[in-house]
Amino acid sequence: MEGLFDYAPAIALFPLAAFVIALAFGNYLPKKGAIPGIVATGGSLALSLAMLAAVAGGEEGYYHDTLYTWAAGDAASEVGPEGIEFTFGILIDPLAALMLVIVSLISFLVHVFSLGYMNDEGETGLPRYYAGLGLFTFSMLAFVYADNLLMAFMFFELVGLCSFLLIGFWFRTRSAPSAAKKAFLVTRFGDYFFLIGVIAIAATFGTLQFAGNDSFIAAAEAAIDGNEQLFGFGAETWVTITALLVLGGVVGKSAQFPLHTWLPDAMEGPTTVSALIHAATMVAAGVYLVARMFGYYALSPTALAIVAFVGGFTALFAATMGCVKDDVKQVLAYSTISQYGYMMLGLGVGGYVAGVFHLMNHAFFKALLFLGAGAVIILMHHEQNMWKMGGLKDKAPVTYWTFVAGALALAGIIPFSGFWSKDEILYDALIVGLEEPLILAAYAMGLVAVFFTGFYTFRMVFLTFHGKPRSEAAEDPHGVGWSIKLPLLTLGVLAVVAGIANLAPVYKLTGIELTFLESWLEGGLEGTTYVAYTELLGDVYDTGFIGTESTTVLIAAGLSLALAFSGAGVAWKLYNVPEPVRHTEKLGGAYDVLRSNYYQDEYQVWLAEGLTLPLARAADRFDQTVIDGTVDGVSTASLFGSDRVKRIQTGIVTNYAALLVTGFIVLLIVLGILGGWFV
Amino acid sequence: MMIEALIAVALVGALVTFIAPNRIAGKLAFAISLIPAALSLWMFTVFDGSGNALLDGELAFESQMEWIQLGDYTISWFVGLDGISLPLVVLTTVLTTLAIMSSWTPIDDRESQFYGLLLFIEANLIGVFTALDFFVWFIFWEAVLIPMYLLIGVWGGPRRKYAAIKFFVYTNVASLLMFGAFITLVFGLGDAVTSFALPEVASAMLDGGPEGFLGVGGSTLASIVFVAMFLGFAVKVPIVPFHTWLPDAHVEAPTPASVLLAGVLLKMGTYALLRFNFTMFPEQVEAYAIPIAAIAVISVIYGAMLALAQTDLKRIVAYSSVSSMGYVILGLIAYTQFGVGGATFQMVSHGLISGLMFMAVGVIYNATHTRMVTDMSGMADRMPVAVGILVAGAFGYMGLPLMSGFFGEFTIFFGAFGAEQLPYSELFTPLAMFGIVIVAGYLLFALQRTVFGPYHLETDYEVGRAPLHDVAPMFVLLGIIILLGVAPELIFEMITDAVDPILENGGEL
Amino acid sequence: MSVAIEYYVLLSMALFCIGLFGILTRRNALMFLMSVEIMLNAANINLIAFAFYHGNLTGQVFALFTMALAAAEVAVGLGIILVLYRNFRDVDVTVPTTMRW
Repeated sequence: MEGLFDYAPAIALFPLAAFVIALAFGNYLPKKGAIPGIVATGGSLALSLAMLAAVAGGEEGYYHDTLYTWAAGDAASEVGPEGIEFTFGILIDPLAALMLVIVSLISFLVHVFSLGYMNDEGETGLPRYYAGLGLFTFSMLAFVYADNLLMAFMFFELVGLCSFLLIGFWFRTRSAPSAAKKAFLVTRFGDYFFLIGVIAIAATFGTLQFAGNDSFIAAAEAAIDGNEQLFGFGAETWVTITALLVLGGVVGKSAQFPLHTWLPDAMEGPTTVSALIHAATMVAAGVYLVARMFGYYALSPTALAIVAFVGGFTALFAATMGCVKDDVKQVLAYSTISQYGYMMLGLGVGGYVAGVFHLMNHAFFKALLFLGAGAVIILMHHEQNMWKMGGLKDKAPVTYWTFVAGALALAGIIPFSGFWSKDEILYDALIVGLEEPLILAAYAMGLVAVFFTGFYTFRMVFLTFHGKPRSEAAEDPHGVGWSIKLPLLTLGVLAVVAGIANLAPVYKLTGIELTFLESWLEGGLEGTTYVAYTELLGDVYDTGFIGTESTTVLIAAGLSLALAFSGAGVAWKLYNVPEPVRHTEKLGGAYDVLRSNYYQDEYQVWLAEGLTLPLARAADRFDQTVIDGTVDGVSTASLFGSDRVKRIQTGIVTNYAALLVTGFIVLLIVLGILGGWFV
Repeated sequence: MMIEALIAVALVGALVTFIAPNRIAGKLAFAISLIPAALSLWMFTVFDGSGNALLDGELAFESQMEWIQLGDYTISWFVGLDGISLPLVVLTTVLTTLAIMSSWTPIDDRESQFYGLLLFIEANLIGVFTALDFFVWFIFWEAVLIPMYLLIGVWGGPRRKYAAIKFFVYTNVASLLMFGAFITLVFGLGDAVTSFALPEVASAMLDGGPEGFLGVGGSTLASIVFVAMFLGFAVKVPIVPFHTWLPDAHVEAPTPASVLLAGVLLKMGTYALLRFNFTMFPEQVEAYAIPIAAIAVISVIYGAMLALAQTDLKRIVAYSSVSSMGYVILGLIAYTQFGVGGATFQMVSHGLISGLMFMAVGVIYNATHTRMVTDMSGMADRMPVAVGILVAGAFGYMGLPLMSGFFGEFTIFFGAFGAEQLPYSELFTPLAMFGIVIVAGYLLFALQRTVFGPYHLETDYEVGRAPLHDVAPMFVLLGIIILLGVAPELIFEMITDAVDPILENGGEL
Repeated sequence: MSVAIEYYVLLSMALFCIGLFGILTRRNALMFLMSVEIMLNAANINLIAFAFYHGNLTGQVFALFTMALAAAEVAVGLGIILVLYRNFRDVDVTVPTTMRW
């Protein structure tokens, strides 16, 4: 079993090969590069499953190896060793193995789905598309099993590039390149802080390893215990600062407030891309990173509380916006932002298992919903406006039922997967919140968001599938093939049953051991296990209960279920009618604010176009007039001066002779005075 | 004698090309330029030097003979390679070869002279990076200007005369300042030196420094010389506020000249800074750390802001060079192994990436006859391969990981953050790093407007796919950029080996 | 009994001043040329006088050189004057000022 790990690099290298093949020969291949992609991601999936088995069955329960030294040198760090090595290495522990399977599975399904969504629809430029998918899968998988922060950062950036390329796939339009640019820029802004964080951590601890004895997490813990001064700060403050810097990248990539604005625009890309990159995997990279270096965040209560608060706020904030969108993909985009907010909330309150659990469930049901939306878009002949749909329920039963499964999971209806993980997050937030007012506020926001989630999810379902067809396309939908149905069914099953992985409330109420994910995450390297995190968190958060543990569990679950049902119920009442109307006038002024996304885009665009660009123009004017003006001024002055001086050159020989003689005489007199001839 | 062979091949090649018929000049020059390229790559593989050329290092391909006796001073022909100069020599030869290939399309006038001048520049650039005697070095340093002046002034755009004269005079005045300063230094060192050999001057500087000259005390003299030489090189680099010749020169220069100008000529400035200021004056480096770091940060941010305001593709890339060279200065002033080593790496990396960018812009210009962002959109529709490379190059410029630019920038930032030599480095570094956001901003804006979107062109030209000989050099460059990004140790190891002795004298090691 | 060196110097000075006066005041190019010749000869007298005074021949040799030079100069000068006349129909040196800047 252990020998299997030698093949770990191949997990990422398969899709890289697919990328190269698609780019070089895509045009000559039968499906324009789809087949190498499917084979490669299939291979990655098989290997990832093997890794999962190896981690589960192996004695050590993890694999950690440095494969390649990128650069090495001497650098004095604050508390670490004198030298530093930047390496590429692989760390496959339970968390990474789980994520590898998720990523490769969804990538595989998306490749298959693309056969129906892209190839059959006669798109051009498909080699570029498949190359992008291949490169993305490569980068994402490499990011997932990166064993150090720098490698993680590098692939974090590369997935950003792939996101740019794939959002801009339809580059002949005006909107897609603009959205691609925005996505890259906004995430880049977050990555700027991330990079500072990476450098600061490297300069402080002399290592960037995630796990093991020489990890920066262990070094940070030692520094805090030793009351070291780091860069003029106390060790804990410095850890907080660096953790928050890294969080900048997380906020950008996982589309958390205030850097969430790029994600709804990113829906300009093909829906398959939205499913793979902007729902299930790349956006998860941020949250995954927090989970990956959770030990570091656990050292700083402030950083954790900020993670939780940002998460809770984003969850509510994005959910409210999702309620007024007309485009099915926009609704899903805001829902994605909101759901990642939940994961951040979960991790921030110390609910490591809950956060990872929701990450997994969300990957399944959101990929399902996006692919379902893709199927709907094909059915509707590329119409995305929900008000032009309706009545698809009977005409496309597979799409409908899988979509509903995903919607139930998203809304958090028992017993679908989303319920279990979301409930666990909210429970973890509640028990901490009972002792910490700030967390209680975050919990409250998360709880309110449940209502909106239920509402927008079912508003989407009812508008899309129920009622009467509201356009010609809806009356006569385009059929979909097996390549679309197969991924939908796979993900549909997962969305329904994935919750079994961690039935924490059942355990807490009945004592039956159904918390598989928790015990799974307890394995791995010392210091990166759930056990270690629990120990660390013991110092950070106190927890309280309402009455006993059981009553708290019941109250938390009951509250969120009730809210989810009432949200769904309101949607049912308003939109599950043959001829639904908008009902937006009831919102009054709030509608405009929601519709404009709280003016978040406006101010960010203003920052770029209203502030930076005029500043740049002013700098340019300054440069052209003052600085270059000085340079040109020097030359003008010289020219002017020489124009004056040249006038002694009269052209008359006599004058020259006179000048010569005068000069000679003057020279004589000067020499004479200096030499003392006249004394 | 290998270095002499390199220079001689390029010089003889220049002469031969100069008198060859126009028809075959391009191919001939390309064939000739392959010789130095192959030779330097061979030298790269067998390189056995260690240490720093100025600080008792083991030189590779060293060669020295007495040339002129001038009073008490001996001038000798003295060349050799260490880990800092070798990558730059290889950069020069490879980039020249590729630049020659990329001129086949745009140059259709007086070809033999054009290609002859390119080879002549190559010879002088190799000389600059290998010479270890000040006089020999200075001759090459100045001789580089002449062919570049002609390339801009004869084959340039509409304002070529203005740009060429500005380039020539500006950099020449700066050279004069630097020359005067160095000669003063040598006289100030008194009996400690008997030649203009750089290692000798360096060791005299490190063993006590100048005694004084013309009534100026030793340490004051050292400071004055340091500042004067810094200013002299600052024009060449260029560092804000001495940068204004660069955009004009780039905009007017023909594409291959831009490639060499941005790719290699700018590195002369930083190379000289490293060789002179940062090797010979460790005390002054420490004393002036804050102002120099401030200038570096201003160069990065201000250069990037200027690039943001431009609408001419070449001007964008030109100003972004100002910004990128600011990183190099920051790395140098950090005075740590990663800082100085990263700065040297960044010189090579920026040479490759900016060369690639200028080539890509040139290919688009060849097809559209415009470089204005506002004049075109959707070029990806008509020339997918060239645009693909342009996009790749742009991301390289933004410091995308696994391309060489990321390694250069990352090591510079890492070396600068918390550098002992540099007070407030924890503030300077993040400030300079904000450049990576602005660079993404202006390059993506430019890409969005020119290569993406619906196809549209203001000028009346039929745009088709770029010919293979335009695209091939860009592929080669892209390959090297990715290779160095994945395996930076290929050159970083020899660079740090040569950088370490510098830091033993004052920096942080 | 030879003439004292002072008289030679005085003569040479007088000749030189005459030549200089001619250059500064005359406008005719031919007169210019003649004035220059006078100045050269003033120098020659000096050279020869001092050679005689010091008793070595170097000065005389130099005088020979100067004469040869003067001859050459006259040839060139006359050539210039001829061209001048051809172009301007005049030998006045103040007329051709077209090459001043």
